[in-house]
Amino acid sequence: MNVEEKVKEIVAGVSGVDVNEVTLQSAVGDFPQWDSMGQMAIIQQVEEAFDISFEPEEMMEMEDVNDIVKAAEAKL
Amino acid sequence: MLTIEQQIERNAQRMPEKVALICKDTRVSYGELWERCCEAAKTLQNDAGFYKGKRVVLAAAGNAEFVYQYFGTHLAGGICVPIDPDTKPARREYIERIVATGAPSDGMADIMFTTGTTGAPKGVVLTHENIAASARNINAYIGNDADDVELLALPVSHSFGLGRLRCVLSKGGTMVLLGTFANVKRFFAAMEEHHVTGFGMVPAGWAYLKMMSRDKIRNYAGQLKYIEIGSSFMSVEDKKMLMEWLPNTRICMHYGLTEASRSAFMEFHEYAENLSSIGKAAPNVDIRIIDGEICVKGEHVTQRYWNESPKRIAQDFHDGYFRTGDSGWMDEDGHIYIKGRIKEIINVGGEKVSPMEVEDVLNAIPQIKESACCAMPDMVMGEVVEAFIVEKEPVTDAEIKEIIKPQLENYKWPKRIVRVDAIPKTSSGKIQRLQLKEV
Repeated sequence: MNVEEKVKEIVAGVSGVDVNEVTLQSAVGDFPQWDSMGQMAIIQQVEEAFDISFEPEEMMEMEDVNDIVKAAEAKL
Repeated sequence: MLTIEQQIERNAQRMPEKVALICKDTRVSYGELWERCCEAAKTLQNDAGFYKGKRVVLAAAGNAEFVYQYFGTHLAGGICVPIDPDTKPARREYIERIVATGAPSDGMADIMFTTGTTGAPKGVVLTHENIAASARNINAYIGNDADDVELLALPVSHSFGLGRLRCVLSKGGTMVLLGTFANVKRFFAAMEEHHVTGFGMVPAGWAYLKMMSRDKIRNYAGQLKYIEIGSSFMSVEDKKMLMEWLPNTRICMHYGLTEASRSAFMEFHEYAENLSSIGKAAPNVDIRIIDGEICVKGEHVTQRYWNESPKRIAQDFHDGYFRTGDSGWMDEDGHIYIKGRIKEIINVGGEKVSPMEVEDVLNAIPQIKESACCAMPDMVMGEVVEAFIVEKEPVTDAEIKEIIKPQLENYKWPKRIVRVDAIPKTSSGKIQRLQLKEV
């Protein structure tokens, strides 16, 4: 599974939506469960999935799925 | 005392061009705000099914349309029932059913549903006098005025966020409607773009901001006049950090509940020697400790719950003082300290969760024989739900989560599920939650 697919799967799982509803443009707040708690859970699960860790400055830039994918890819 | 709507009307007459609301790219002046609220009232009054005292359930999204509908409903003589737009259908239907029956009394403005100890939501009735008094008390303490530009990232379905809206608009300030803290980049962009001078947040919001942006808030030390914090516990370490990073900002933490909003206040810099206290009674509020319980009196305090008998409500008062359900003590200077909670409510980042509501959903899962929930400390949220279950048949955490997802809002989901052989109970069958915490 590539990074994009995994991130979409994590976002879908945390947000409680079907993975097909998640696009690269899906952003914080687009799904009711993707609030601040959801954002933290997503970041934590992405870190665990790829065994990486993000700095606060990097987390702040994560507004949508594409940002998260790019940030994760940059660490691999 | 003028109602909040009368104060907005006064502001519209005195400064019609002044910006009242900013929502994305839209700016709404006080003149326009008043016009739109009056239009909303007229539309409601023209509805054949509308009558004075009708309960109007509003999906409280943090946008300008909600603001018009909220104040418009009051102007029309209706009673607002603001609920979170993402409220699960079962809870929404319950609230709609409850408010459809019952008799309103004069002066009622809002029915705010809060978590009852039995799990069923309780409708706190607030009058126009209650909410105007509350705004007056808060503005007096924080020092809000017409020059304020406040960022609203709190949910307006709750007493805290809705209260901030009333405080700013009654004073003639400008409210920037952001909706949520979730997008931290947008939060700081709005701070800069609108030269924000204040905002409200819950301690979990602060933990989130800190995690996502480290000390970036320091960059705004020169422009932030005030921050209001409330709804749950904040550590002394976090308070000291904010004091250091924002040395000239009035950082005001409130203590209160939906029934008695902002009953006590403490400003961090003024209370540097008493940071573990919840401060003193807010302006125009009287607080007493009666039988070890913090009890509150003032014009801001509710006098009833929707559809509850006067006899039942009398149990919530001690000689005219509302019983908060928190145990505490007061020192000789009037500083109040909380010892613990008498009621068994879990406070998840300011969202109140009844353990019984979560247990009811868990107990309905066929593989679970019984369950019990209690609060578990959490670095960010303060507290989260921890569930203890006795299995009939093996069931995984993932399976449990799938079942509870559609029924419970995400802050109610147990963060940890522990399997136990039995739930500790008293001889009368009451769950002993303190013993659970020792498992």
